[in-house]
Amino acid sequence: MRLLRIRLTDFRGVHDREVHLAEQGVTVLEGENEVGKTSTVAALDLLVDFRDSSTAAEVRAAAPAGRDAGPEVEAEIVTGPYRLVYRKRWLRRKLTELSVLAPRPEQLTGREAHERVLAILDETMDLSLWRALRVEQHTPLGQADLGGQDALTRALDRAASGASGAGGTVPGADAAAEDLVDRAVAEVRRYHGGHHRPVGPLREAIDRLAAARAEVEAAEASVAEVERDVALRADLDREVSTLTVERQGQAERARELEDRWSAFESRRLEVAAAAERAEAARERARRATDRQAERARLVSRAAGTAQAADAADTTIAAQEERDAARRADRDERRAAWEAARAAATEADAASRAADDALATARDRGELADLSGRLRRAEAAEATRREVERAAAGPRVDAAALEELEELDRRLVRAEAELAAGAGTVEVVAHEGAAGLTADGEAVPPGETRTVPVAGPVTVAVPGVVEVRVRPGLDGAEARRRVERAREERDHACAALGVADLAAARAARHAGEDAAARVRELSAVVARELGGRSTAEVRTEVDRLAERLRPEPDAKPPAKRRARGQPDGPALFDDPALVEDPEAPDEEARAARAAELDGLRRAAAATRDAAAAARRVAEEAEQAWRRADDAVRDAESEVAAARTAGAVARNDADRLAAELAEARAGSPDAALDAEATDTLARARRTEADHEQRAAALAADDPDTVEALVVSARRATESLTTRSAEVERRRAEVTGRLQVAGGEGRHDRLAAARDELAAAEREHASVSRRAAAAVRLHTTLARHRDEVRQAYVAPFRREVERLARIVFGPTLALEVDQGLRIVARTLHGVTVPFEALSSGAKEQLGLCARLAVAALVDAEDGVPVMIDDALGHSDPGRLERLAAVFTAATTGTTHQVVVLTCSPARYRGVGAARTVALSPSLPPPTAVPSPAPVEETPAEETSAEPAAPTDDPLRDVG
Amino acid sequence: MRFVHTADWQLGMTRRFLGAGRPGQAAGEAQARFAQARLDAVVALGRVATDEGAAFVVVCGDVFESNLVGPDVVGRACEALRGFTVPVLLLPGNHDPADAALVTRRADFARRCPPHVTVLDRAGVHEVAPGIEVVAAPWTSKRPLSDLVADQLRALDPAPSGVVRVLAGHGAVDVLSPDAHDPAVVHTDLCRAALADGRVHYVALGDRHSTWALPGESRIGYSGAPEVTSHDETDPGNVLVVDAGPDGAVVRPVRVGRWAFTRDHATLDSDADLAALDARLSALAAPERTALRLLCEGTLTLRQRARLDDVLAAHVPVLAALEVDTTELVTRPDDADVEALGLSGFAASAAAELAADAADAEALDALGLLHRLAGTGGER
Repeated sequence: MRLLRIRLTDFRGVHDREVHLAEQGVTVLEGENEVGKTSTVAALDLLVDFRDSSTAAEVRAAAPAGRDAGPEVEAEIVTGPYRLVYRKRWLRRKLTELSVLAPRPEQLTGREAHERVLAILDETMDLSLWRALRVEQHTPLGQADLGGQDALTRALDRAASGASGAGGTVPGADAAAEDLVDRAVAEVRRYHGGHHRPVGPLREAIDRLAAARAEVEAAEASVAEVERDVALRADLDREVSTLTVERQGQAERARELEDRWSAFESRRLEVAAAAERAEAARERARRATDRQAERARLVSRAAGTAQAADAADTTIAAQEERDAARRADRDERRAAWEAARAAATEADAASRAADDALATARDRGELADLSGRLRRAEAAEATRREVERAAAGPRVDAAALEELEELDRRLVRAEAELAAGAGTVEVVAHEGAAGLTADGEAVPPGETRTVPVAGPVTVAVPGVVEVRVRPGLDGAEARRRVERAREERDHACAALGVADLAAARAARHAGEDAAARVRELSAVVARELGGRSTAEVRTEVDRLAERLRPEPDAKPPAKRRARGQPDGPALFDDPALVEDPEAPDEEARAARAAELDGLRRAAAATRDAAAAARRVAEEAEQAWRRADDAVRDAESEVAAARTAGAVARNDADRLAAELAEARAGSPDAALDAEATDTLARARRTEADHEQRAAALAADDPDTVEALVVSARRATESLTTRSAEVERRRAEVTGRLQVAGGEGRHDRLAAARDELAAAEREHASVSRRAAAAVRLHTTLARHRDEVRQAYVAPFRREVERLARIVFGPTLALEVDQGLRIVARTLHGVTVPFEALSSGAKEQLGLCARLAVAALVDAEDGVPVMIDDALGHSDPGRLERLAAVFTAATTGTTHQVVVLTCSPARYRGVGAARTVALSPSLPPPTAVPSPAPVEETPAEETSAEPAAPTDDPLRDVG
Repeated sequence: MRFVHTADWQLGMTRRFLGAGRPGQAAGEAQARFAQARLDAVVALGRVATDEGAAFVVVCGDVFESNLVGPDVVGRACEALRGFTVPVLLLPGNHDPADAALVTRRADFARRCPPHVTVLDRAGVHEVAPGIEVVAAPWTSKRPLSDLVADQLRALDPAPSGVVRVLAGHGAVDVLSPDAHDPAVVHTDLCRAALADGRVHYVALGDRHSTWALPGESRIGYSGAPEVTSHDETDPGNVLVVDAGPDGAVVRPVRVGRWAFTRDHATLDSDADLAALDARLSALAAPERTALRLLCEGTLTLRQRARLDDVLAAHVPVLAALEVDTTELVTRPDDADVEALGLSGFAASAAAELAADAADAEALDALGLLHRLAGTGGER
């Protein structure tokens, strides 16, 4: 459906105004607040929804304030194949007119016109959704609840609830079906809280049922308890009578057994007395026998000790003999050891003397060597100093020589230049002209000589003529250069201390030779001294000399001199050693080596001899010590044997005395007789006891005793059981008496009645709760099914538009209530609530534009945007403008934007912008057909007025 | 010799369909009135005994519903018995057997028991008055292992001349008992033999709550309960006034009960049937003493079903009890049921779906709820 034109007359604050909308695309209605922007669009709803006879609140609100005129609306609409002009006036001079212009002309008035319009709209678009949407479109997009979401959901619910009833239905009041869902929810909530937790009556019924069941169980248990007690009491009664009979029988039997048992008792006493007598006799016999055995042991012990004492004496004698032999051996070995020790001491001394001789020889060799070296080094050092002294003339090094040569070359060059630049004198000596000289040189006859005039030149024929030629000013500069070069060279020669260049060269060669000689001599010194300084070597020589100096208290130096070697300081006094450093040194060294070798061998031989002597001495000592130990062992053995012998003798004497004393008291024979006698008596009393005991055992007294004990126990047991049964009987009786007065049956009956009632109530409440749940789920399912049909196309369209704002990665999640649940951008999903106000607003706008396509897939319906986008930044505004374009391009969809800040929509490619200014009634209240602003002055669009204006005028 | 034969007072009994008080409260109102009515019946039979000049009243078992009835039941029973002017003999039956818990041996009974009341808790011959003997066959446990009546009869010699002897027993007779192997069943042939040789002159029995006499032998019979106790009883509410002697007996039932436990059946297919049912319920005599079991069958629309519920709800407060069995009643919503809701859109389709599933009771309940919600909600 598209709205081409709408005209309001006496509608709220608008006196008369006609607005043409762009046939497709965006129309911006701009104007200040209260100029009637909203009224202009709201009038369309009034026109469609309310009969001219209606006095609904919306209609009455449209009446112009303070004027007696009916509000009138006229609109030209295209929908599907239809094109129509529709006019209505309410309250005063009511009127409904319809002109269908296409496809077939039709003219209708009144109720038929109203019905026909509704039929046409219903045929060409989703009228109910549109109607619902209209309501929501009066909500500004930018308000707190942000349009498009909940509002859209409500709109769709209304559409789904089929609010496409007959005309006259008031938009906004058709929420009955949704109310039903709410009421069904409320009904469910009466019974079920969250998570299906029962509440209210259902909870009470469940509790009552549980309580009733518990009570029945308790009451049944209490009744069953009494029944058990009744049965128990009957059992106990029977048991009491049974026990009484049993006790009588048992008592008789026990008495008889007791009699038998007491007869046995006296006989058992007699047996016990016989046993005691036998025991006493046995004891006496045992004592006599013991005494007899004691005597025998004493006799044998006395004999044994006497024998032992004799044996000990023999042993002592043998050991004393062995001891003496050992002593002799020991003394002998001690003498051998002392001899060996003296020999060892002597060998040691010889060895030490040999070692000393060797050390002295070594030191002496070393001293000779070091002295030679020192001497040679000092000689080389003296030579070096001499060479250095000789080479102390002028020192010309390579660089100085080179510089001097350069200066000389410069002088030659300067002289050459002077010669070249000077004039020449050619002297020709003719044949026979002798004695001609040119510049001091003779010129032989027949020759020609050319002399340069570098300086004054004299040509003379002696005696004849003398021609003096002087150079002019031209050669003065060259001459000065020559002079200067010569001065520089002479100066350099003087500085070096030489006469000329040749002398300098000779001096340089002499210096180099001296340096080589010095290096050579220094190498000799270093080799001889081995890197040490002269002083160090000298100290070493002094040290060695000190060591070799003969000590006055020690061995006599004569012994050393015997070898024929010079001693100590004599070494330095020997001039030969210094002056002839070569041959004698060599000889001395060879002699020293031979001497050292001999001494070393002698020292080794004496050392070995000393070691052998020591070993012999040690072995001799060990042998002596072993012999000494053996002597000591033998001595202690002898002492021990003597002690043992004394003890044995003492024992033997004591036992012999003891035996003699005992025999004096009671002789051996008396003891033997007593033992025999008491043994015989003991055997007799024992036989008596055995006879009596056997007789008693034969009569089986144990069985009788066991029977008696058993009978007593049985009697006790019966008594106990009787008491127990009586006690339990009394207990049960008491319980029954108490229970009887408690009305347990009544309690059970009441509990059962209550349980039945509770079960009935529970069933009934459960049934009601189930009905509520069923109703709600059925309603909700049907509602969701209806909503579901809108979801996919809606989401597609919203996404298409929103991608213009947010880019191609945008995806939206839309629930069954057509709520945008979440936005996904660059793979990041954000819940709708968490989005910024701007983003919400932009999505809301897209949603509203999208829903227009749902209403009428072909043409859409006019979408009204009331001053939105306050939250959008300029960048987004630009993209939103593109959204408007996308929503209207390629389709015939209409979008109407109402705004008081038109700048916000400059970017929108509006097909038309209409600036609204107040349309006021004429000052007089007289209804006049000539309104002041009848002409569409407010139309600023360049588009010419549509030709469809005319039919309207005709009908009007 | 004239006496009153009664049994099965069942004092302390309650009936579930008469409702219950909430836990901790007194019994429901109907329950309380019913309990009082049974005491009233006892009082009434006492008056009958006085009016008829009976020598005694014998209660053949089940005086109390249980040995464990409360002191209030015992006390009220004693008060009712106090008004009797003739000796009363109470026989322990299967509900109140003479075991260790016997109610009539309890202290609360002994304290209030009027002197003219005798408990026949020992088996054997009791002399009520000179020339009048009652042979008691009391139950001593809930499950006797023999025919207690026969045991007594076997021990008897023919009554001396001038002595009228009545046997008081309790239990099912063999011709009525469904359980032939019950060892305690009363053998009627032995009773006939005892009557024939003059050992006893009348066999007074208890246990059956309807009045009944052995066919062809009016001297062997059940008095029935003095007040109705069950819907299954055929003739309750009577006591028997018996004139007995060596030459035979004349038995005359006298009505003392005032309550009725009735069954009814209604076929409901139309609004007219509903109106007829309403009228029938309105026409009930003494509805406050009537417990009605109503079986409904037929097919109703949703609106008719709602009307039925209204009709029944209107009668419930008047009747002592109204139990309605609707398992045979089919509710089938018709198109008008749905249209009457005036729904559109998804609500209409939801209603249609619920209505289509008429076999589903829950769907019908949901539809009924929808009626209620749509009815109370603001209509467009």
